[in-house]
This record gives sequence, structure tokens and C-alpha cells, in this order.
Amino acid sequence: MVEDKENVENGEQVSKKGAKKLAKAAKKAEQKAETASAVAANNAAGDSAEDHASGRYGLSEMIQSKDKRSERNFVPVSELSGQVGKGLVWVRGRVHTSRAKGKQCFLILRQQSSTVQCILAVGDVISKQMVKFAGNIPKESIVDIQAKAVAVSSKIESCTEQSLELAVEQIFVISQAKAQLPLQIEDASRPETADDAEGLNIRVNQDTRLDNRVLDLRTPANQAIFRLEAGVCRLFRDILTEQGFTEIHTPKIISAASEGGANVFTVSYFKDSAYLAQSPQLYKQMAIAADFDKVYTVGAVFRAEDSNTHRHLTEFVGLDLEMAFKYHYHEVLHTIGNTFTAIFKGLRDKYAREIESVGQQYKVDAFKFLEPPLILQFADGVAMLREAGVETGDEEDLSTPNEKLLGRLVKAKYDTDFYILDKFPLAIRPFYTMPDPNNPIYSNSYDMFMRGEEILSGAQRIHDPEYLMERAKHHGIDTSKIAAYIESFRYGCPPHAGGGIGMERVVMLYLGLDNIRKTSMFPRDPKRLTP
Amino acid sequence: MYELKTLLPQFDIKLPTCMYPLKNVSLAADSLASSSSSSASASTSSCKLEASRSSKTSRNAATCALDLDSLGRQIQQLLKDDTASVAARQEKVLRQLEELKEQLGQIRKGLGVCGKTFQHTTAFQNGGLKEVPLQDVVINGHPNFIPYALLALKNAWRDLYTIEVKTFTHSTMADIGPAAREFEANLAKVTVNPALPKINVTLIWKNCEHTEMISSPTMYVPIYGEVNIIRYLGRVGPAEYRYEGSPLCNEIDLVLDICYQLLRCSTHKTQVAMVRLLDKRLQQQQYFGGSQMSVADIGVYSSLIRMPAITDKDLTPALLAWRKRAKLVAQI
Repeated sequence: MVEDKENVENGEQVSKKGAKKLAKAAKKAEQKAETASAVAANNAAGDSAEDHASGRYGLSEMIQSKDKRSERNFVPVSELSGQVGKGLVWVRGRVHTSRAKGKQCFLILRQQSSTVQCILAVGDVISKQMVKFAGNIPKESIVDIQAKAVAVSSKIESCTEQSLELAVEQIFVISQAKAQLPLQIEDASRPETADDAEGLNIRVNQDTRLDNRVLDLRTPANQAIFRLEAGVCRLFRDILTEQGFTEIHTPKIISAASEGGANVFTVSYFKDSAYLAQSPQLYKQMAIAADFDKVYTVGAVFRAEDSNTHRHLTEFVGLDLEMAFKYHYHEVLHTIGNTFTAIFKGLRDKYAREIESVGQQYKVDAFKFLEPPLILQFADGVAMLREAGVETGDEEDLSTPNEKLLGRLVKAKYDTDFYILDKFPLAIRPFYTMPDPNNPIYSNSYDMFMRGEEILSGAQRIHDPEYLMERAKHHGIDTSKIAAYIESFRYGCPPHAGGGIGMERVVMLYLGLDNIRKTSMFPRDPKRLTP
Repeated sequence: MYELKTLLPQFDIKLPTCMYPLKNVSLAADSLASSSSSSASASTSSCKLEASRSSKTSRNAATCALDLDSLGRQIQQLLKDDTASVAARQEKVLRQLEELKEQLGQIRKGLGVCGKTFQHTTAFQNGGLKEVPLQDVVINGHPNFIPYALLALKNAWRDLYTIEVKTFTHSTMADIGPAAREFEANLAKVTVNPALPKINVTLIWKNCEHTEMISSPTMYVPIYGEVNIIRYLGRVGPAEYRYEGSPLCNEIDLVLDICYQLLRCSTHKTQVAMVRLLDKRLQQQQYFGGSQMSVADIGVYSSLIRMPAITDKDLTPALLAWRKRAKLVAQI
């Protein structure tokens, strides 16, 4: 501008040629200035008065509980369909994706598993600057939006709320996410279709997921998995409570190893050392001896097994139950079996949405079961295996491949993913297992299987101290080490039986997932202690 | 070259008594017989062989490869000498067999097994099949298409054979409905005689299109249709209901086929047409295919229950009378 002025002042002094040259330069400068001002206007020109939407968007100050703002009426995304055409509502959610293009910005807002499309278009309410701001909000930031729910003519396939979109009027960033994310939620929630050659094949591997578990857990499948897991626990508690069971809590720091003793974690305990409980078995039995009749417990269980498999964790949640019976341990067997069936039915009926959204990412068949549960004898199982051409002994434990094969055979014949195998050989069970009165080879013990994998192992326990001593000696166990255990039966104890399951394993097998780390929120295995 | 010493000393081989020498049938032996028959007959077979070898050198040239005269002579000789000895040997073998049989009989008596002779074994009765324990079978049925034949057979075979039915509900069925529950209760009511042979049946209420039966998971070939399950059970069930050997086999199969079609009829008109066909097969007989209750009656009876659209009006008097008779046996 200043240059232009000078040119005009000195105009008379310069030659004709020079004048021409100057005129050209002036024209150029003029053009330059024009575009510059246009750009400046475009570039929001700061937050100048030209922005008619200022105050309707921006970074919110850190919420320190200053105002209550109770006038803001927040609506969950999943309930927006009831708000169509009813005026302005507030929604808080995460920016799933945000894309500004010209005078419009499309923003997908996510709230847990629900997503909704939001639109900002330049107009009376929204300024260009506001559209630009919305387009630049980093993914995963939390925003408050005031908007009108508007019905759309064609379905929005990419969102869970397909019949409506939000016409945004105000948008404030509550908590901004880093611009660079270690993993993209979209990649982490991409369906696992192995044979899909055309589709995008970007995956997030298991370790990246677990290292950034907070982000990973935001995928719809993970949201569903852990809601379902909570459902398993809740159903387990509800069903057993209804049947007269009492929930007990057992100590996790113990003085002596309860089972075997090889795979326990040692912790320092003041001047001494202690162990982490690898099963609440002893305490369950003591509760029975203390007249609680029917007990269950939900709590952490620790196993110091250095096995890096898809189904072992070093710490998991154990759902254990123990129950006194009158004359036959089948009273307990049927109780446990029916509890499982009731859990499966509860999941099928009340968690259909969660099961479906897990199924969208991990393609698996629905879990099938029979009511009442199918109970086979161990000998029947061996016969089925032999018929299929597998050599296995009468007193031999089921190897993992045989266990899986038997699961497939049972599935082919009875079409059930859950079954109970009763009367295991005595030789392969712990010393406290009650032998079968009719056949010395077998014992009053049982295993339960889901999708061909063992989930529960239980038995009638010996409640007679003398006989328990005898069996312990027979197994070559130092009876002085288990004196306290035996002692607890010396003051009279009803006959009892029980068993325990791993919650993570049950959820994994119910959903048909391939790795137990997918069903543990912060898994612990021999190679992972964080996060 | 040098001479080899024989490694084995000359043994005097003692032949066991259960063996006998074979006559040397070759032409060389014939030449031997003619030259020194007296010496040969006295010696043992091994000697004979050696002797023949010694004489072979002299006579070999004279005997031609195929001398009909000498052959004839040879046969004559054999017949004359040996028939008697062969007959004697046969006698002896027969006698020994008789002794063996007696011994076995005594052993059997000592063990206390049935004293009957081995004329009719069970293996013979079911067509020479090996008796292996029967595989448990699984029947998948939809609660809307209840396989009443199971209950009918269970009742009809009450005193012959036990069909032990365990019922389950598959997770694909939310509720099985009152009819299926009543059917379950009726199945449980039938008294069980543990002494009778039995087959274990697992009945699973499932959301499936056809009633199907699975006997072995390794050879997964389901049998579809209630009628075919009746055929299977008829084959493994009591002898009185096995129809394959009977002259009525074709008739029973035909009636069962009509039932199969009847169950697949969707309109009332076609159903009535099938009922008319059934009436034609029954005519004035007591039961389908004669005077005895058979699996065909079970099939028809069960199919008619499953077709509530077919009322008494659609049935002929003959069929109604038959139904009354069948009800006494099937008790549904």
C-alpha cells in the first residue's frame, strides 16, 4: 500500500517507458493486495468481529466444577432418535472422525458403542471459522455439542444411529487428545475377515493393543466384551444367591501353598514370606465345615505358571462355588450345570446386542447349549474317541488334542458347545477326590467343557479326616504339611462338592474368541506386567 | 577247486505221527515202481526218493515226456494201493473230530453255559451281523412337529424292548410349548423294565426344519424324516417288529412312504387325498399289511396326530376303527 502511494507521488517525474513499467507493477501489487485481503478474510482474520459465530465454538476452559450448568439438557447418543424435530439438545461425546470440506464439516460423534453423524454448514449460525475449527479437532477429543436432531432421507451406513444426523449449533472441546494416536480406533475395530482380499488389511497387533489398552478398549467390540463379562459375574451372583448361596471372601495372601505348591507366587511378608492364593478351595471347604451350606466367591486367583498360551493368565478372576449335599454329589453337579445353563440363557436373552457387536468384529458361531446340560460319562467319552480312531487308555487323562476332538464329536452329535464329563479316573485327580463306590478305577469327579476346552474341574471332596489321611499317604503327600486342612474336618463336616471357573476363560469361550487376553481388561501373563 | 564238507551231520529224522508220506506222483517214481517196487514199498518215503534218484540215471532216457501208457499204469497203481489207506485215514479224522466235539461239550457243561447245541445263535437271527452294543442315537425335532412315533413305539414295545428317551432343549429354542412338555411327561411315564434290551435315544428340541436322527458323529449322515427314523428303530428293535424279512415288507414300506408324503402336504385337499390312499391300503384288514400291528401302523398313527387339520370327518369308518385298535397299543 505504501509503495503504491510513492508511485503515485513520483508519477510525473518518470519517463513514458518507466510509467508503463510502473503501471504494470502497480497493477500487480493491486492484485496481490486483493488476494491477500481475500486470504486474510478466509483465514478467520483472527477472531475479529467478522466472525459472526464467535462464542459458539472453541476450547472450553478446564472444568473445575465452577458452574453447574444444569440448564444444559444432555441426551445419550443412543436415545437421540426420540429427539428428532424437538429442538436443541446437548450431547457429549468423542470425535470419532472429523472432515472439513469447503463450507461443510462432517463429524462423527462417538459415545461408547454408539455413533452419530454431525454436520456443520456455513450459514446464519455457523461461520467459516467455526467449520474450520471443527475440522481441526483431533480425533478422540471429548466435545460438547449443542445441536438439532434432524431425520435423514437415506440411511447413514457408517453410524449406529442411521436415521438421523445432528445439525450443530455450538461445539466446545472439553478435553483435547494428542494429534498423533498410537493406534487408530478404526483399525482396531476393523472386522477380522481372513478371506477378504479386497478390503483394507490394516490390523493392530495384540501387543500394540495391550500397550495402549485405554485406546483399544474404546472399540465397540471391546466395549461389548467387558459389558458381557460384567454380565457373567452378575448372573453368576444373582443365580446362586437366588438358590440360597452366600458370597464369601477368602484371603489372597496365604501361608502355605494350597494345591501342589509348585506354581505359587512368593511375596515378602514383613520378616517372613507368604504366597498368593492359587485357589480359594481350602477356604470354601472351611466355610462349608463352618455351616454355611452353600457358598460362592468371586476373586483374583494367581498361578505362577510360565505358560505362554492363548488360554493362560498368571492372574485371573475365579468364580468358585462349594455346596454341601445330602446323599449324592449329583445334587451339586446338577446345580452347577444348571447355573451354567442359566448364565448362558441370561447372556443370550439380555446381552444379544453385545454379542452381536462382538460378532461384527470377530466372526464366530453363536454359542449353543442344551437344557438341561448334557452329561456324559468319562467312559462314554473315551468310547467316542476310540470310535473316531484315537487310541486312549481307560485311566488316561484327556490330552489337549483329544479334549478338542471330543468337543467336536460331541458338537457333531448333540450340537452343543457345553457339556459335562462325569466320573473321571481316580488316578488323574487330586488326593482329596472321593473315589467312586462302585468302581475303584473311577472317582466322583467331573469336568465341564465349553467349545471343547475345559473350564471347570470339580469333585466330591473327602470329608472324612481319616480317609483323607489315607488317600494323602497313598499319593505320597507329606501329611504334616496339610495338617491344618485335615484338621478342619475333625469337628464334623457335611459331605460336599464344588468347583471353580475362570471368568475370562468362560467369556472367551462363550464368544468364541481366540485369545484370553481379549477378555481380560489388563491381562497379566509371564511377559506382561503393564499397564 | 576243493571239496566242501557237509555242515550238518546225518540225522535220523523222526517223523511225527500226524504226518504221512505223500506218494511221489512223478514219472520218475513210476519208473522206480516198475524196476524195484518191492524194495521201494518197504522203505520210507525219504529212502524212496533217494532210490529213485539212483535209478533215474539209467532209465531217464527211456521214458519220454508224455507216455500215456505209463500214465495210465500209474493211475491204476494209485487207485489200487491208496484208496483203502485214504479211506482209513478219513475214518480216523472223523473219529477224532467226534472226540473233540465231545470234549467241547463237556467243557461247556462244566462252565454252565446253555446246554443247547449251536444251531441257532443270535448272530444268525439278525442276519449274521456282529452283536455290538448299540450306539446312542440323537433325534433332533422341532416342538411344532413332535415325533409321536417315539412314544407310540415305546408304548407298543413296553414288554419287548426299552427305548430310553432323554429330552433336552437346544439353545435355539426359547420355549418348547405345552404340547412338547406334555409329550415329555408322557415319555417319562412309561415304565421301564431293566431286563429288556434297550436303546438310548437323546431327543433334542431344536429349531430345525426336519426331524433328523444322528447315530454316529464320525459318520455324520443324518437320517431325515420321522418315517425313516421309524424304519431305523424297526430294524434295531424287537424281532416282532422287524419287517424286512417278512412278505409284507413292500406293503409296509409303501404305507410308510405315504406317511412321509402326508407329513409334507401343506393343503387340506392334498392331505385328504393321502388319507384316501391310506384307506385303500388298509381296506378291511385289522392293521396295515395284515392282522399284526407293525411299524406301518405306528407311522400312520403318529402322522395323523401331527396333522390336526385331519379330523374324524376326513377319515373313513375303516380308518376310524383301525385308529381305535391302534390306540390301544400306542396309547396316545
